[in-house]
This record gives sequence, structure tokens and C-alpha cells, in this order.
Amino acid sequence: MAVDRRGFLKFVAGATTGVLATPVPWKLLDDVSIWTQNWPWIPRNVDGENSYVSTISKLCPSAAGMKVRLVGPRPVRVLPDDNHPLSMGGITALAAAEVQLMYSPSRVKRPLKHAGDGAFVAISWEEAEKMLKENLRRAGSKVAYVSGDETGTINELLSGMAKESGSEDFYVMPSEVQPAARAFASMNGNGQLGYDIENSDYVFAIGANILESWGTVLRNRAAYKNSHPAAEKPTVKFVYAGPVQNNTAAGSDEWLPAKSGTEAIVAMGIANLLIKAGATIDAPDFAEFKALAAQFTPQKVAALAGVTPAKLKAITAELSKAKRPVVLTGSEFGQGTGVATVLAGTAVNMLLGGFGREGGVTAIPLAPKVIASGMDRAEIADKDLVAYLSRISAGKVATPRAMVFYEANPVYGLPQPAAMAKVMDKVPFKVAFTSFLDETAEACDLILPTPLGLERFDDVESPYGINQAFYGLARPVAPCVIDGKPAADVLLGVAGQLNMDLGFETFEEVLQAKAEAAGADWDSLMEGEFFTSDAVAEQSDLRIAADVIGKALAAAPKPAKLSIAPVQKLNIGTPNTAIPPYNNKTIRRWELQKNEMYVAMNGATARELGVVKHQRIKLSNSSGSIQARVNIFEGVMPNTIAVLMGFGHTAFDEFSKGKGENVMELLTVGYEAGTGQSVWNVAGVNVSKA
Amino acid sequence: METKEFTIKWGMAIDLDKCTGCGACMVACQAENNLAPIADASNKIKVMNWITVYELSNGKPYPEHDVAYLPRPCQQCGHPPCVSVCPVIATDKNEEGGIVSQVTPRCIGCRYCMAACPYHARYFNWRDPVWPGGLEKALTPDVSVRPRGVVEKCTFCHHRWMAAKDKAIVEGRDPMDLAEGEYVTSCTEACPNGAITFGDLNNEDHEVAKLASSKYAHRLLERLGADTQVYYVSRREWVLRQLDNYLEDEKVKG
Repeated sequence: MAVDRRGFLKFVAGATTGVLATPVPWKLLDDVSIWTQNWPWIPRNVDGENSYVSTISKLCPSAAGMKVRLVGPRPVRVLPDDNHPLSMGGITALAAAEVQLMYSPSRVKRPLKHAGDGAFVAISWEEAEKMLKENLRRAGSKVAYVSGDETGTINELLSGMAKESGSEDFYVMPSEVQPAARAFASMNGNGQLGYDIENSDYVFAIGANILESWGTVLRNRAAYKNSHPAAEKPTVKFVYAGPVQNNTAAGSDEWLPAKSGTEAIVAMGIANLLIKAGATIDAPDFAEFKALAAQFTPQKVAALAGVTPAKLKAITAELSKAKRPVVLTGSEFGQGTGVATVLAGTAVNMLLGGFGREGGVTAIPLAPKVIASGMDRAEIADKDLVAYLSRISAGKVATPRAMVFYEANPVYGLPQPAAMAKVMDKVPFKVAFTSFLDETAEACDLILPTPLGLERFDDVESPYGINQAFYGLARPVAPCVIDGKPAADVLLGVAGQLNMDLGFETFEEVLQAKAEAAGADWDSLMEGEFFTSDAVAEQSDLRIAADVIGKALAAAPKPAKLSIAPVQKLNIGTPNTAIPPYNNKTIRRWELQKNEMYVAMNGATARELGVVKHQRIKLSNSSGSIQARVNIFEGVMPNTIAVLMGFGHTAFDEFSKGKGENVMELLTVGYEAGTGQSVWNVAGVNVSKA
Repeated sequence: METKEFTIKWGMAIDLDKCTGCGACMVACQAENNLAPIADASNKIKVMNWITVYELSNGKPYPEHDVAYLPRPCQQCGHPPCVSVCPVIATDKNEEGGIVSQVTPRCIGCRYCMAACPYHARYFNWRDPVWPGGLEKALTPDVSVRPRGVVEKCTFCHHRWMAAKDKAIVEGRDPMDLAEGEYVTSCTEACPNGAITFGDLNNEDHEVAKLASSKYAHRLLERLGADTQVYYVSRREWVLRQLDNYLEDEKVKG
């Protein structure tokens, strides 16, 4: 049959109409798009019954309260807990990632020992515990314990083991806690300083990064949330003084630029103005303090801290006018500050009538220790890890034969980490109880995997900053996903074999005793409840410790021509967690590009240094050097370079390892005159083009 | 173009004066909606974020400098530019609640919607998602995992609305009359500063409706006329000015 032109056109028209009318091609297209998405390597949703468990984070330094959502037996989400005093309906960027950290590629999955060739070899728990026991026995009293936990009763266990072996060397990784505790002790104080931000009507944070990393952050943020109704004038003014317009400054109603490490000077300047306006403190050394404060004239504060006299006077006037002001002092990066910083801040609070007043500063009682041979919180705060390692380095104290690290990462997290690591190299036997293969674990002979806080029993007692006594349990919400054992159980077993008398067989018994000592009800704690108390620690003969402030400030290092201002953000993790897998997306574009970090300075500083945005520079000083690119950010004080903490890991996994460099390399350790407290909040730096 | 109206119109008001840029919303969003982590997240063009936090600057030199942070979920436009360009109706706005849907199994990956979206709220899966180290065990059952080759975006945690409606039905209540707070997105829930308010824009009793009518409330690129359901609130003029393209001498409402 011949096809003529007309017939052909009819066929084409018919076929076109048919194709358009039939659903087949569209259905096929739809099917293709669906079936090309059904690959076996794409995970399927696994359903199950939802349940929620209230617990508390042992990973986030803010001790975030949280609700864990489980689907069947699987934990899938960390959610805020409206009813928890350490969450108050919020969650931190770090705690929000905690379930995912259970499956972090850098988790240690089984006990490991360092083989002669430098590789790690998997061993059984039996062999690992035997190795630990033998080495601790061999070390005798020449043993040191280092803990990365600020709030847990495990510190009593670790310090008890140290003391039972005849050693006084138990240390906690440095933070805001030690200078605060030592400050209050030098005031003859009893208990722990707490700050009633939620009832205050004027919040002035000097250095203290209260909306990001200082103290019980979620509680601080809840106070901020409640006092800053959306689209309305805030009911409470938040002011932040620090060298960088960081997250706290971004949320605050006013940013008062003040140089790094000058928190005590700013506070003394305010004290001077308050005293001139008639404020007094009922303390035996007030006259001495008054004379000392008089030295800190607005002009002197301007010269030392970079705060203009007019601003200082304006803030002081606002503080005086407020009914319930509170002043919080600390380090903008959560460590390295001196005792005088806290003392000067507390003195300002006293001048404002804020000590013991609602919306001011209070002293909360701490539960007594339950392990007789262990150290209590005050004793622990007196132990300075950085000073200890420096003394070993200088040959002033003997190098221990064994060091036990409990969820601590000093090889990454201490100032001058290379020098600290060199000291640790001298120690013949090192063991790390850790969840992640961090820098310290890699430097150890034995690595013992611990379950995360979501997989074990643990406790939190009154984190620093909270204004009421607190006790709560972290409870296992799921079985441990690796072959781990709680460090406390392992250590109690080893202690028993070494004939140490700690008074307890299991850690659960220790926690029960601690709960009782704190006044908490164990059964309700086990159900996810928590204990709080409004009891106040009684004080007698409280002083200002003007002599301590005087000595420290007389010898305070002068700010350098060009300074480093480390910036702490919880989303970038801690030395213990590194950057959690989900969190590296929260790092800003000009904070990190591929593996190169950026440091920030303002335009004037950049012009002075002759550098431009994106330029590669080298920052160096006597402690070390790092390379970075330049970002121009006008929220940095002149002659200051803001450097993010949390980069430069040499361990962990692809989400952290090799990204940027570690600012701790540039922080130089000094010692506060009078107290001897190690400090590293002032660091000068030189910049050269790389 | 006429905006399609609904009885319930889910919306968000984000107070830019309260956001400190901590990133909790971004982490919570990823965990809730099963986004895969990525080792190098510095290439912001290819990184998947249903909500991302931008840094805003007033552009003034120190010491007059001010900073703000702007969390950007899908703006859930009233007449969304993405919907009209989708050749396979993988994205649509026709469901009660006014959430712009994204049916990923239907998406053919042409990315017209990405080109059309003025807010960069849509992301293309350039690679298959990978959850290293058993991380897939922490996936929620609520949101399907997307393979490479499809576009995805914020859905205002639509599954949470479904769950809230289911709960109301089981309890014998009207699923279209949920109490305020019964359904909120994961980012709203996570924000420790309370910067995000979520609710029904059509319900005058809901806080979000009150905030949306505030003189300080603006929408992103409002004059494009997309009629978005996300409002940004700020008492700072310079912040509001950055939400749209204003002439130098032009006044900003608020």
C-alpha cells in the first residue's frame, strides 16, 4: 500500500494527538523518575513507635537538658525540653547533633593498643584492663589523672584513685570554673557563684560569652528570649563587652568594644565610678579596694582596654539606675582568664548591692563528696593542669610514669599544644578513656572506648553559672553502639584489683550516694526528673580580696600591638567532639574554604598590615604559628585578629581533620601574679604574608 | 497573578534582632529531615541546607559596625515562581495550609524551579547522599531520603503537621483547629533564643499573625510580589533595608 502525502500527514497528526491524549508517556516519565530513585544504597525509612526520654548532655559544655526521641529502639533526634531547667525550651547546635555523634566515623569501636610500629591494634577488654592494671601498679604514686568532665562525680573517683595511689595529681581541663572557684575561695566564700540572669533587669557581660558558650547557655538564652519579646522593645538590656562582635554581641542590645584579656580592668573602671558615686561594700578590705579602684580612672581604662570614657560612664550610669543589674565576667573564649577577672566582676556586683539579691549574684551550695579519698569541687578547682605540665617541662616536678585521660583532649585543647604534647611524650604509659579517636587518644598507648552520655549512666551537678543547686542524671537511652565500657566501671574494677578502698563497688552506687548527698530522690532522677534547690550557701567574713586583684593587675601583661582574639562557637564543637558531621554546614563561607581557615580583622587593621580580603597570611609569635586567609569584618577591634576556635584537628574524621589550624598554637601561657593561676587570654601576634 | 487562599496559612516570623547565628536551627533541620552530612561543606552552592543562616552587616566601619543573622527557610510563596515552571508538577501549592510541596519521587531534576526561586531556597542533589559510619541508623522515619538527581527544599516540616492532625483525629478533635504550638517546625522548636515564631497567619490569635502585622515585619524581596509566608521582624532600619532593593533615599516601613 502506497502512502501518499495526505496519508502521511494524517498519520503524523493522528500519532501526535494520540501521544498527547494517552497518559502512557507521562506515566512512563513519572515511573522513570520514580524507579531511577529506587537504588539499594539509598536508605529506606524504618518506622517504629515513638518514645521520648529526658536526659542531659554530657558532650555539650552547657550541660544541655534535652529530650531524646526514639523510634522503636533507635534514638533519632535530640529535642529541647521545655521543662528542664538546663534547656528551657532550647537546644544548642552541639547538643542537637548528639544522636548523630553516636555513629560518628571517629568513634573508637573497641579497645586499642599502640603497637611498636605506631599502628593501633584491637585488643580484648580483658587484655586492655590487664594492661591498665599492670601499668597503674607499676607507676605506683607516679600517676596523674586528667578529666574533661566539669560536673560529674567521676572526678571524685578519678581523684580518689590518684590519692589512693599516693598521688595528688588529678586535674580537670581548664575552663571558666577554676578561676571562678579560686576567686570565690579567696573571698572566703562558701559554695559556687551563681548568676540570676533571669530575674535581672540589666545584664552586663564583660568577656563572658553568655549567649554562646559561657555557663549554662540555654538558661542564659531563655532569660534573653523572655526579656526580648519579638518586635518589641526589650524589657532587659543586655550589654556585651569584648574584642569581637561575636554571637553574644550580635544578640546584645549594645556591644562595648574592649580588648582581649582586659575584663578585670573594665570591671575595675566601673567599680571606680560606682564608688565615686557613693557605692560601698560592707567588707573588711573595702578601703583597700577603694584605693585600688581609684587607680582605674576612665582614662586609664581607655588606654588599657580601649573602652572610651564616655561609654564607660554611660554603662555605669545605666547599671546604677537599674534595680536588679548583674555583671558577668569571664573569657570570651571560655578559658585562660585569671582569678582577678572574676573577683573584679563580683566586686562590681557587690557595689551594685547584687550579692545575694534577686537578679544578682548568689552562692549555691555544692553537695559534699561521697568518695572519702576523692577531691571535692573546691580542691579540684585548685589544681592547675597547664601549670602542672609546664612544671614538668621545666623539670620542677617529676614526670609521671602513667597518665590517665578521661574524656579529655589536652593534646588539642590546651594552649601551646605542641609544648604540652612534648611533655606528654615523656610519660611512659598513657591511657585514654574516650568516645572518639582524638589527638590525645592517638598519643596514648592504650585507648579504651567509653559509651557516650546517651549510652551510659552519668551525672551533672550544678554547672558553673547556674543560680540554683542542681543535680540530674544522664541516662542510657539506647545500648552502646560500639564495644565500649563506662570508664567508671572499668576504673572501679581496676581499683579493686589494686586494693584501693574507694568505698563503692559500682558507679551506680556512687551516683546513688551522690544523689542522696545532693538531697535528690534517686527514683525520680531515674525517671528523668531533676533536682533543684533554692538553698543558698551561708557566708561569713566575706571579703573582696582586693589584695589579690591588686597584685594581679599590677603585673598584668600589657596588651600587645597586634592581638589575637579567639572566638568560641559551640556549633564548631569542643576539643572532645571536634566538628560533628551535621555541623560543618553551619560554618560560614568566610570562616573556612576547603581546608583553609579565615581570620577576621577590620578594614583599618588590614590596611595597616597591608593585606586584603582572601589574602593568605601567616600569624606567628613565640608560641607557634598558623596560616590563614584574611576576612574583613568590621566587628573586630582595631589591631585585633579574631580567630575561630575548633579548627586544625589532626585526628577525628573527614568532618574535622585537616580543616584550618588550631588557634591554641598561638596562645602563650603566663601566670597571674599573686595567685599563680595559669592564664592565656592575652596573646600578641605578628602577621606576615604567606 | 492571584494568590491562592487557604483557611489555614502556616507562616513564620523570624526576629532578626534575636537571632545570634548559633546554627542550632540548621543542625535540627538536617537531623529532622534526613539531610546527609558532607565532608567539605565550604562550597555553599552545592551544600544542601533547607534552612541556612546568612550574615548581614550594616556596612559601616568599626566602631559603628552592626551585625545581624538571617535564617532562610523556604519562604512558602503565595504564588510561587517555582510551581509555575515545574514541568512535572513535582512542586505545587494546592494543599490546605499553604505549604509549597516538593514531591521528590516525581522530580526529574530539570532544576527550572531552582532558577525561578528568588530566595535560593532549593537545592539539587548533585551526589547520592552518604551517611558514613552507620549514621543512617539515626534517620527519622518521617522524611524519605532523596537520591541524587532531584531537587529538595524546606517543607515547613510538613510531616509534623500530618502527625499533629493525626493526633487530633485520634483524640477526637478537629484536625483543622489545632492549638497554637501543636505544630511547629523543627527549627522553631530548636531555636534557643525564641527568634522563630510559627503558626497560622490566618488565625488572629496566633502570635505569628500579630507579628506579621507589626510595622517592623517585612518579607524578603517583598516587592517581587511572591507573597511569601515568612516574615522577618527587626527594629533596626538597616536590617529591614537589606530585605529588599531600596533606593538610597527611599524610606523603609517600620
